[in-house]
Amino acid sequence: MRAVGAGRLGGLIALIVLIVIASFLSDRFLTVPNLLNVLRQVSIVGILALGMTFVILTAGIDLSIGSVLGLSVVLYAGLLESFGLPAAITLGMVAGAGAGLVNGIGVAYAGIPAFIMTLGMLSFARGLAFIYTGGTPVPILDETFYNFGNGYVLGVPIPALVLIATLLASAFVLGMTPFGRSVYGIGSNEEAARMSGVPVRQYKALVYVISGTLAALAGVVYASQLGIGTPIAGQGYELDAIAAVVVGGTSLFGGRGSVWGTFIGTLIIGVLANTLNLNGVDPFVQQLVKGALIVVAVFGMSRASRS
Amino acid sequence: MLKRLCLLTSAIVMLPLAAVSAQERQPITNATCDELAARYDKLPFTDILPLEAGPVLVDGEEKSITVGFSQTGFNHPWRVSMLESLQAEACRHPNVELIVLDGNVDVAKQNNDVRDLIARGVDAVIMSPVESAALVPASRAVMSEGLPLVVLDRDVPTDKTLFIGQSNVTMAEGVAEKMAEDLGGKGKIVVITGLQGSSPAVDRNQGMLNVLADYPDIEVLVTGDGQWIREPSVPLMEDWLTAYPEIDAVFSHAEESSWGAQLAIARANRCKDGIKHYTFDGSNAGFKAVKAGTFGADGNYTPFIGDIGLRAVLYELTGKEIPDAEDYAQPGKNLALPDSPVVTAANADEWIGRGWGDFEPTPDPCL
Repeated sequence: MRAVGAGRLGGLIALIVLIVIASFLSDRFLTVPNLLNVLRQVSIVGILALGMTFVILTAGIDLSIGSVLGLSVVLYAGLLESFGLPAAITLGMVAGAGAGLVNGIGVAYAGIPAFIMTLGMLSFARGLAFIYTGGTPVPILDETFYNFGNGYVLGVPIPALVLIATLLASAFVLGMTPFGRSVYGIGSNEEAARMSGVPVRQYKALVYVISGTLAALAGVVYASQLGIGTPIAGQGYELDAIAAVVVGGTSLFGGRGSVWGTFIGTLIIGVLANTLNLNGVDPFVQQLVKGALIVVAVFGMSRASRS
Repeated sequence: MLKRLCLLTSAIVMLPLAAVSAQERQPITNATCDELAARYDKLPFTDILPLEAGPVLVDGEEKSITVGFSQTGFNHPWRVSMLESLQAEACRHPNVELIVLDGNVDVAKQNNDVRDLIARGVDAVIMSPVESAALVPASRAVMSEGLPLVVLDRDVPTDKTLFIGQSNVTMAEGVAEKMAEDLGGKGKIVVITGLQGSSPAVDRNQGMLNVLADYPDIEVLVTGDGQWIREPSVPLMEDWLTAYPEIDAVFSHAEESSWGAQLAIARANRCKDGIKHYTFDGSNAGFKAVKAGTFGADGNYTPFIGDIGLRAVLYELTGKEIPDAEDYAQPGKNLALPDSPVVTAANADEWIGRGWGDFEPTPDPCL
């Protein structure tokens, strides 16, 4: 547990340092509207990263979440007109959970390596999204849905609230439930977890269902904000989510880390992108800085947790 | 468990395939020949290399002709629309069959695809390359088999039967001219590019720079990568609105990115700034947005050149000469297309219905 604490603290310090630098670089950074923008900007990848944290804690990986987000987004858009908003969202979420279930069964019961199983799903779900739309984005013309994605509650953007609610729920499940504690157990030593009576297969499958469901939830935020269901939605987001998780101090080998760390990791990456944009940094250079930050942050935290 | 899972998956995979054969829907566009025939009349270039409907006779014989089409990828509706125009032409000729392959935006895959087409014994190849230079080996393979090779949209620097494409540079010049005119030659703009490093993004940027060289009082505040789509341009624009109190126009390489920018403008309560959008893509939704006043101009880069490509192939196979095919700086011949006019408020009505895509524009959050 000491390592987790050090990692989380390291992330928090890194975030504070970044915020200080950002406020020096632009006097517009530390304004309420800008900070709320950042929260909204990170909400989609943030929700994905929370789901990814569950999976990575079991020493797994879920490469399919970007595609599952894309699939759910086209379903929301396509089903909205004929079935209405609640049914469209339910069906899209079920599809996300279903994709996660297939991943989970493949990994936990069929013994397919998570990397391969979810790589397959990455392509399969994207294929379904393309087949369903014929490659053309489907516009979403629903006022309620648009207001959900672009509205505010008490001055806070709704997508940011969805992110925070997901964070609190995830923290509760991981910290307060037998399932959550077993997730850490499975990640540190699967055999030992099995011996002590943890239903390892069931729980391992469940983390993929969680990550698929949260991908579909991120899809709700995506579709409602942008008002379009495009089959290419979320391409490459899985890598942004993994970056947020590891910058947040969760070990790719499983068993160590937390959703709080992931949230901080998400903010670090979001604040960095915001600062680079505020200062008009060239997009090529932005990619370079982001890459460097990921490596430096993870290196720094692994040093901090060792000492 | 596994067996059941396999059954389930195969059922999911087989379902769409079964649907295809039952209703004779074309692959990818999912349209029937009847639906495509209705759209054929609206294609912009059917008068270039005109060809009557009906069977195509080679040496007086009606034998089946198989044409392979290797597309960059079908990840963008523009690319699907190009196929639509190609299928619409193929539907008019009962003895012409298409084999369509999806390059997945991967040069290696597309090279393999083209070789697969040769192996499957096609009579001709139509290709719209992912990237110019990288498709030279595949092009050489086609030419060395003695098959006609028609290249669409992006050229290859090697021998070919015919290249058909429009210029992104001159089109961008047209859009930038309109912007400069609207701004009265003075103002601050932000630029959202297409996927950085892709040739249309490079060319559209070049066209803009060519024009801005004549307008020293138009200042480019900042440039960002919108990747042709909506999502990345929202945070970009949000952050720029925070950083720059004064923005007069957004020059974006794609309609989708312009919509994202407009969303950010509305959310930041900056609609009253009257920030104008200058954009590209040539969709019907884009033309409607021009008419509504959201977009100041839309670069009309039509995807409907697939039908010309197929007609060129059929001309070649039937020994008909292709008029206007001329030598140019690259090996092979070029069929220069007339530049489609930039769509502005003045001519939007005339173009609505002749762009690609039949979806409605996103409601303008500022209106």
